[in-house]
Amino acid sequence: MIIRDLRQFSSLFRQYTELRSQENRVLSIAYLQGNLVQNVRNATSGISARVYSGGSWGFASTPDQSKVREVIAEATSNAVFLDSREQMGLGSFTPETPVVEVNYGTTKQRLTQKEIMDFTKAVDDYIAKKYPNLSSRSVRLDCLDMEKTLLTSDGAYLYSLIPRSIFVISLSMDKNSDPVEVYDIAGGRGQFEDVFSKPEDLFPTIDELYEHLVKKSEGVYPEAGVKECVLDSQLAGILAHEAIGHTTEADMVIGGSVAGDFLNKQAASPLVSLADFAHSYNGEPCPIPIHVDDEGTAAEDVMLIEKGILTGYMHNKHSARHFNAKPTGNARAFTYRDEPLIRMRNTAILPGTSKLEDMIASIEDGYYLIQPSNGQADTTSEFMFGIVLGYEIKNGKLGRAIKDTTISGVAFDVLQNVTMVSDDMTWSCAGMCGKKQLIPVGMGGPAVKTKINIGGR
Amino acid sequence: MRAALDFCLETLRQKNVDKFQCSLQKTKQYEMNLEGLDFTLIRTTAENTLSITVIQDQRKGSITVNRLDQDGIVEAVDSALELASTSQQDPDYDISPPQEAQKFTSGPQEPDPERMYELLKEYTQQVPQLFPSIKLMESALLHRQVHAYFVNSNGVQFETEQGNYSFSSIFSSKEGEKTTSFNYTGFAAKDLEKSLLEQATLKTLLTQSVEHLEAQPFSGKFVGDVIITPDCLESLLWGYVMTFLSDGPMIAGISPFQDKLGQKVASNKLTLSSEPVSPAMADGYFVTSDGFAAENVTLIEEGVLKSFLLSLYGSKKTGKERAKNQGGCFVIQPGDKSLAEMISQVKQGLLVGRYSGGSPSPNGDFSGVAKNSYYIEDGKIKYPVTETMIAGNMAEMFANIKEISAERIDYGAGLIPYMLSTGVTVSGK
Repeated sequence: MIIRDLRQFSSLFRQYTELRSQENRVLSIAYLQGNLVQNVRNATSGISARVYSGGSWGFASTPDQSKVREVIAEATSNAVFLDSREQMGLGSFTPETPVVEVNYGTTKQRLTQKEIMDFTKAVDDYIAKKYPNLSSRSVRLDCLDMEKTLLTSDGAYLYSLIPRSIFVISLSMDKNSDPVEVYDIAGGRGQFEDVFSKPEDLFPTIDELYEHLVKKSEGVYPEAGVKECVLDSQLAGILAHEAIGHTTEADMVIGGSVAGDFLNKQAASPLVSLADFAHSYNGEPCPIPIHVDDEGTAAEDVMLIEKGILTGYMHNKHSARHFNAKPTGNARAFTYRDEPLIRMRNTAILPGTSKLEDMIASIEDGYYLIQPSNGQADTTSEFMFGIVLGYEIKNGKLGRAIKDTTISGVAFDVLQNVTMVSDDMTWSCAGMCGKKQLIPVGMGGPAVKTKINIGGR
Repeated sequence: MRAALDFCLETLRQKNVDKFQCSLQKTKQYEMNLEGLDFTLIRTTAENTLSITVIQDQRKGSITVNRLDQDGIVEAVDSALELASTSQQDPDYDISPPQEAQKFTSGPQEPDPERMYELLKEYTQQVPQLFPSIKLMESALLHRQVHAYFVNSNGVQFETEQGNYSFSSIFSSKEGEKTTSFNYTGFAAKDLEKSLLEQATLKTLLTQSVEHLEAQPFSGKFVGDVIITPDCLESLLWGYVMTFLSDGPMIAGISPFQDKLGQKVASNKLTLSSEPVSPAMADGYFVTSDGFAAENVTLIEEGVLKSFLLSLYGSKKTGKERAKNQGGCFVIQPGDKSLAEMISQVKQGLLVGRYSGGSPSPNGDFSGVAKNSYYIEDGKIKYPVTETMIAGNMAEMFANIKEISAERIDYGAGLIPYMLSTGVTVSGK
């Protein structure tokens, strides 16, 4: 439940104020070994206000949406407390006044809880019946709806509903008493009815995953050291997000990120272009389409690297003023009680001209790395990603699967060493990025060929 | 608040639910934030969390909402029942048995904004003075107060009123074009008596961050010793218990420790406990999420596995004993060597300040980047390193412990020493 008409409260604004009403709704169903270990719904709704006073911000929130007056008063009191002590004397921001209503919810008839449960069970039953030799299996469905309204005292207004629905499927088998595991993700932006039509659509994904599992169970430890690798699109996406994206968030640049030294300089191979898309790519909605951010700024695409040159940073209002730049619409908050922070939206390396098979064929001794587990990066752009699915490349051909490992490197070096970029593009919408708050993000990319440090034993 | 809970209980009773549990938590948070050295935000938040679990005909449904009006509660109960009606039957779904009603109180219930401001201001003055190369990124000092009820249809009734302060800071160092990895630490406390810089490992890590301006990549590869710092060890412990002792791998039957209760799984130098109700824990807890009064529990005693970390459901599903708590607040018994003595006995190894890597594989294999770390040779720290990876197996690393340090760091949510182990692969460029 959110308050659709926030304009009724505009007379309560005394200073620059952002008023947001939001509800996040979650459905989570998980089967582990055929046991229903999770069958949960969450709904978190409330209202928040953020008030600006002379350079200081005050924020307050409450789940009781009848207390709009009180929450504005408390946010104001917090801003005034800080301003009275810090006295930064900063002026107001340039007004932004976009008015946008976007709804990515389904127009189809909503399925019942039972229909969704039966769908999930059918996916689990398929695995149990077809692959009885597994030591373990899990099927998890996560659906998230983020619905909000935002009004600023400058007159910016937003209504948005952004949903996503995702299945995560994991399979394990024992090999010499050691469990070996693979997983895959299906789904993306949209409510369940728009993303999944019938369980059978997921069966080819499961069959392919099982084939990978069998190969991985015979897998070998990769050889540690710097190797030529083809990073498949999911890895390119996480590289774009974790290793480059975070260093180009303007608050990280202020905090000493290495990207501060690279602006307008050659930071990557000329084959590499990288952007944080606001809401659309090639005329299609991105995984997490942001039209207006949580400060009321109209969201724009940010070209971070263009043909190897680092061209810009992602901004909120505060950092834009610091860098004498325009806010880019990257200020995002996950729940009603979170303040907006500079966050990525849909970060991707742009496609090139090579074919994946040619990229693999061009490597004599290296690896084709397909599935990441997680990733972390640093102010230096040094990063690490867990790799849970990959193959050796020997003499231009795929070889044995590899066991779980980790790759690492300095992202700007890794991107300098990119020699081929594939001509396709895949988006992933399953990620939750952590930076004080968790928030859903989109990542995308083609496959890239580069040199990378791979862990081993 | 109590009225909302009572209404919820009455609604559940009217629906003739076989078994139910209900927790209602009201959280108030007061938070001061720094971006760099600038105070940017004061944030106050209030949140309600009403969690309802129903078991009807051995089918289970759970819902969490934050609306406490009567319509919202009725909707939540109906929704939980709908979830249960579509669930499969499982004889192992259950709620906690009758226990003595208890009320738990701990920590400061109200924030002291003036003192919070004073301490944070002091921090913004001390850091540039003592560490001019440090770039503070985000820092936050907050007070959290939680008032919670837990009730179930077996008559269990717990009430908790808990308050604490916590502080966290993320930072790196920068001089000219030299930039270090970021590092971070924090702690929880029941009071604001001490300066922030004097607590936990803040001063140590800020000092190390500056030293890392001179970091260099390590060349080569060896299998050798690692000294894990308390900040790093605290996060590795979570990976260890989640991989080997928790519900997920135990129910899936893939934990390598599943048949090892009472057997040796680690070095006899390791005694690991989880102590959420210890008075020393500013950020402990008193009630588990499945409705038991939490107790401190020894997980590993002198290398012998004493307890899994199984919930009530995990316990019934695996036929093994339920843990007396749900983990966290880890305490490792100290050894008798100082950190300096531990370093002096390393022939070739790494002092690992932070591990940037994925969760361990189900068999405990791990590999990741050793961040904020130092190369050790012939008993001496040689230089800080960058771009250096470590790989090994979590079970083997804890089995190969050579020393646990005498000194321990009190995080208010754990009491953690340094740990020297061996058999870890270190590889550089």
